Order: sequence, then C-alpha cells, then structure tokens
Amino acid sequence: MSWFIVFSAFSLAATYGLLAIGISLTWASLGMLNLAQGFTFAVSGYGAWTMSGVTTHPVAVMGAGLAAGATCGVVVSLLAFVPLHDRPNFQVRSLVVTLAISLIGTQLLQQHYGPQVKPLPKLFGDGKLELSGAVLTSDKTGAIVVATVVLATLVIWMRISRRGVQLRAMMQDPQGAALVGVSIRTTAVMVMAGTGALAGLASVLLAQTYFVSPQSGAQPLTKGLVIALLGGLGSISGAVIAAIMVGFTEALTADHLGGQYVLITQFALVIVVLLFRPRGIGGLFDEISE
Amino acid sequence: MSSPTTSTLTITQPTEQRLVGRRRLIPRWRVRPDGVVHRRRWPLTKKRIIHLDGRFNPKSLRREMVVSDKRPMWWVIALGVIAIGPTTLGNGRLLAVGTTFLIYSAINLMWILVVGTAGILSLASLAVVGAAAYTSAWLSISHGFPWPLMLVVGGGVGLVFGAIIAIPARRMDGMYYALLTLGLVELCRVYVIQSKTFGSATGGLYGADSFVPAAMRSTLAGFRVGYVAAFVLLLAALAVYRAVNGERLGMVLRVAREEEAVAESMGIGYESARLAVFLISSAGLGVIGGFYAAYNTGASPNLFTIDRLLLLFAMIVIGGSGRAEGAVLGTLIVTLINDWFVGWGPKRVVIIGVLMLLVTLFARAGLFGIRQQFIEFRQKKSSERRADRVQRKGIVVAEEAIDIQDKQDIAYRAFDRAQRDHLKNLITPQLVEEHRAKPMGQHSDDLERVLNYFRRTPIADKYAVYTVVPFAAYRIVSMSGVPGVPPRIVDDRVHASIDEALHAVFVRRVDDLMGS
Repeated sequence: MSWFIVFSAFSLAATYGLLAIGISLTWASLGMLNLAQGFTFAVSGYGAWTMSGVTTHPVAVMGAGLAAGATCGVVVSLLAFVPLHDRPNFQVRSLVVTLAISLIGTQLLQQHYGPQVKPLPKLFGDGKLELSGAVLTSDKTGAIVVATVVLATLVIWMRISRRGVQLRAMMQDPQGAALVGVSIRTTAVMVMAGTGALAGLASVLLAQTYFVSPQSGAQPLTKGLVIALLGGLGSISGAVIAAIMVGFTEALTADHLGGQYVLITQFALVIVVLLFRPRGIGGLFDEISE
Repeated sequence: MSSPTTSTLTITQPTEQRLVGRRRLIPRWRVRPDGVVHRRRWPLTKKRIIHLDGRFNPKSLRREMVVSDKRPMWWVIALGVIAIGPTTLGNGRLLAVGTTFLIYSAINLMWILVVGTAGILSLASLAVVGAAAYTSAWLSISHGFPWPLMLVVGGGVGLVFGAIIAIPARRMDGMYYALLTLGLVELCRVYVIQSKTFGSATGGLYGADSFVPAAMRSTLAGFRVGYVAAFVLLLAALAVYRAVNGERLGMVLRVAREEEAVAESMGIGYESARLAVFLISSAGLGVIGGFYAAYNTGASPNLFTIDRLLLLFAMIVIGGSGRAEGAVLGTLIVTLINDWFVGWGPKRVVIIGVLMLLVTLFARAGLFGIRQQFIEFRQKKSSERRADRVQRKGIVVAEEAIDIQDKQDIAYRAFDRAQRDHLKNLITPQLVEEHRAKPMGQHSDDLERVLNYFRRTPIADKYAVYTVVPFAAYRIVSMSGVPGVPPRIVDDRVHASIDEALHAVFVRRVDDLMGS
C-alpha cells in the first residue's frame, strides 16, 4: 500500500467524517435523521462562493461557508424539529420533512444559480509536499489538518462546556434532560446550527478538490449516511473509525478496481458490518443506554 | 290551485337524515315491513358485500339499517371512473399517464403492506421492481421468454429478493434498516449502469416481448391495451392488499407494529408474519416489475434513481401509508403533477416537495387521515369546553360525578349552587336592618325567601337559640346533627332578648352564605 493511498484515504475520511458526525450527533440528541444535510452542504458551498466574489481571504470565505451552513441548519430545525418533536410518529415525519426541504432547496438553488458548477478559490495555496515518494497537495493536507483540529475542539467542547453537557444529557435521555431543565428546543436549534456549520466546513474543504453545484450535496450525503450508519448512529468515536474505514475502502477500490465500483464496495462493507453488528461499530453505547 | 299534483302531496315527516345535535350523518335504510334483511355475501365466503347494522330508531319507532362502512361504494365509483374515463376519452397522452399512475399505484399498494401495515420503513420497493424488470427483460431478449412467463419470472425474482431483504429486517432497528435499503437501491443502480449484460452501453435493455402487439405500439389502440392491462394489475394489487391487510396476517402485523412485547405475550409469532409479508409484498412487486418490462418492452436504470424513489415516497407520504385509498390518491396527485403538467418544468418538484412538507407538518397520517384527525380535534375541543363550563360553575366536575352514587345529588348540588348565587344578590344592608327591626315578621318577599332557604338547611351545624335564663339571657348554639350528642355553644356572647338572639343567628347565617 503506497503512502498516496493512505493519504487520500485520510483526506476523504476527514471531509466525509465531518458530515457524518453532524448526522450522527443530530440522530443521537434529537432522534431525527437529517437528510437535508446534503442540501446544507450545497448551500454553504454557495455561501462561500458568494463571499469569494467579495474577498478571497481564506478566513472570510470559510467563515461565510460556516455561517451559511449554520443558518441552513437552524432553518431545518425550525421546520423539522420544533413543530414535530412532541407529535406522534416523529421519527418518520421529521425524516420526510428534511427530505422535502432538500428536494425543494436543491431545486431552488438550481433555479437561482443555474446548473453550472462554481469553483472556490484555493484557500490553502498551491504548495506541494514531497514525503517518502508521495506528493502531498496542500488542499488535501489542509483538509486533514482543519478537520482534525475542528473535531478535537468539538470533542473537548462537548466534555467541558455547559452547552456540551446539555448536549450529552440530551443524547443520553431527552426526557431526563428536559426534567432537569435542559430546554429541548433551544438545544436542538443549537445542535442543528453546529452540525450545519460542520457540513459547511466539509463543503468548503471538499470544494478545494471538487466544485460547488446544486447537486453537490447528494454524494457527500450518501457517504455521510454510510459512515454514520457504519459507525453507529450517535457515536463520535465510531464515526471517526468508520470514516477512516470508508476512506480506505474508497481509496483502495479506486486504485485497484476503478472509481465506478466505489459505491458497491462501500455498501458491501456496510452490509457485512451491519449483519454482524446491527447497531454499527460504536453501537455499544446504544446497548448500554438501553 | 287544485291541480292533481298538489292534491297528491302529503305532509312528509322531517327526514331522518337531519342531524340531531352533533351526530354524524349516517344514511339509513328502511327495513321491509316484515323486518327481514338479506345480508348479501361474496360467493363461497362469509364476507359481506356491504356492512349493515340493524338499529332501532326511538323517534320513528321503527327498525332501520345503517351502512356502517361506506368505503366499498366509494371504491366502486372511483374504480368505475378510472376504468371508463380515459378509455372512452381516447386521448393517447391521457392513457399513457394513466398507465403510469396505475402501475405506480400497484407498486405503492404492495409497498405500504410493508411500510404501513407492518410498520417497517423499507425503501427497497423500487430495487425489487427494477431487479425483476431487468431479469425478465434480459430473459425475454436472450432466451425468447413470452410476456406471461416474464410476469412469472418477475414474481420469482421478487420472492428471492424479498427473502434477502427480510433477513436484515429481523435484526435491525427502523432507521438503520431504512438506510440499508436505500443503499441497496443505490447499489442496484450502480451495478446496472456498470454491467454490460444489462446494457450499460445502450442505457437499458430493450426489445423484450410485450402484451401490446407489435403492430399496435404507439397507436391509440396500443395505449388502450396497456391501460386496460394496468387496470387489471391494479385490481390484482388491491385484492392482494385486501387479502393481507384485512385478514389475520394484517391484524397480527398491526399488533406487532404497535408493541412487539405485547404481541409476543399474546402468543403472536410476529417474526414469521413479517417474513410472510415481505415475501408476499416482494413477489407482488416482482410481478409488477415483470409487467413494467413487458409494458415498456425493456427496463432502464431510471427505475433505480433516488429521484424516482423520492417521488414514490412522496406519493405514500401525501396519501397516507395506512390505507389503500391513501396510496392511490397520493399516486394520483403526484403523477398528475409530475407527468401530466410536464410544461411546468422544474417547478413540479418544488410543488411536490411543498405538498409533502405541508401534509407531514399538519396531518398525522396523510390526506386520508385528516378526517379522523379533525374528528379527534373537535372531540378534544368540545371536551375541553365541557370541562371549562363545569369548572366555572364549580358544581361537579365529570370525574367527581362518577363517584357520586345518587345521581340526583348532582342535580341538587347544581340547584343549590344556583339558588345561593341568586340569594347572595338579595342580601343588602336594608334587608339586614329589616330583620333586626322585626325578626319574627312580617317580612318582605326577599327576606322571606332568604329565611326559607336558611330554614331548609340540614340539621347538622344548624344554628339555634339556647335559653339560659328565660326572658333574660340567650346564647347561640350549633346542632350536632347526631342523636344523643348535645349542641355546642358557638361563642361566649349572651343576648338579653330573644329578638336580639334571633337576629344574631340571622347575621351568622348571612355571613356563612356570603362566604360560601
């Protein structure tokens, strides 16, 4: 296995992992499968692109992407979670609402911006790094570094901050959290803003390699779902392990079999893992909390 | 004005279909004078064609029949319109869109057996249809299978597929399973696009046998044949849906859907029931797949796209997944928007999405659940109003009324309360002054009413005047109400005359009345 495969596996794992952790966190704390995450991804790509028309400063562009993603997340939570969370059949209904949002939103994006793809400016420069025979491009290195930093910050924040405690209380037991004074709606809006921002970050990072388009969210959404499913919905560590596994599968398949077989091997991986562990890799947590 | 027509007019009694209070309108049928009612049944079964309940009408003093389930009538009307309308209008495009609608309806009917009746969110319906369509089209092209055999092959493929997707459903939780089946659809699409056998180069497989004769294809007659065949397919799907959902299997599945533990404790083997419904539904979907291939003379990867799946999902979400009429209505709405109003362009997707959003946000079980939801909402509101009404008067709330054995007591309390409210208004300083001046009468009307009320109160805790020294010292006591238990002295005031003592009793009673 060459270093190149390891490297590209990690860079894919970094971006998809961000999206997957968003899906996973939303599921664990709100009990809602957010299928509008792909739409949030596309919106933040356009947000960053709009900002890049004003200034190409990397921080401003990334900030615009994050802000657009967070706003989109808040809108989704206001439509899908707040009106429905205490209604019967919440899980399926919220899933349908997020699906409808993504359907409508993607179409509106296409009408407003047109079907052409948009490029983002190179935020990490054009540098290349030579490492024991492998060429490390700056966009992929930047993606890995930024994603790792953000994930580490997220984990620490969840451990020490008051908001993080609220979030973890919601993940363990929403009713119990409500009983001790955690506002379910406020926390939900906050979680969705946060996971939206994560999707925005993933969008900006992936747009370093690919382009921004209305449908650009579909593929990452599928990957994010695969990783979240594989890692066990609700488990961050499981999602990280799953992201690396999926990244490796993708890089290896693309190298040995060809890019068109990527989805097949990934789903085969998911099916095999889920047959043996029906709640995913990190699903142990679910079993204990029951 | 003595024309023959007016002379035959008789005064008709008010029709019995008029609403009484909030009762729902129910059509009633007169029973023959001899009181005999023939309940017609489907041949060779005990199933009734129309469910009639016999009732006694206390107003007309007659026995009458009430149709307790009107749905079969609506179904006959709707199916009649579907069968006759497009075939007689003779519009090729209408027939083509109608055929799409009928095929999708059949797919959705099979699908909601799993999603609605069994309550398992499986998104693999199109994967089964597509796999069956591809297999039968391929066999027809390469081995020359005729179209009836294509349906059989499709059913077989569906059965195998159903067994495969039923295995993970036993172990996995709802959302995990939904995602897995979504992945399965994607897997099928990618495989079909890549595979040379299944026409990756030509964008699908074409050239299979069809039940539309080759000479009639793309003519009005050909469309009509396709439409009629699809209508038969819909009827078959409805029959299968009815046979599963309306019989024992459906009942078992619905119990297991609500609460697995309860089903298990009642001795219901829901696992085998779920396996059965997966096999039946997938076999049905497979036959539809074979039909699809025979109708289109082939299959294309479009069957597996996520967009197509979303469209189907929108259909059952809008119509409601719990009932056959919901699935058909949802299919009708979405097909109409998507296939008939093609001129609207990309706006169609937005409209379907908005419909989906609104229905999900406001309706609990799709469009066909709205009626039940509205009835429940109205009942909740009227019960709230009733509780509010009762509480404001503070007499007896509904819960308390259950505990009171003597129901007359409830009415008496209500009367007593109203009377006290009325008497409170009568009490004025002038009235008290009138009593002080003349405790023994003669009294005004108001004072007499107040005193009558006081006299009627129960003996327990009733005030009385106790003579300590005749014509010199009187005190006020309160009766115990229990024989043998002496009255107790209320306070230590001693009144010099009987009139003064009587007025003191009156003042105490007035205070109690005003305080109640």
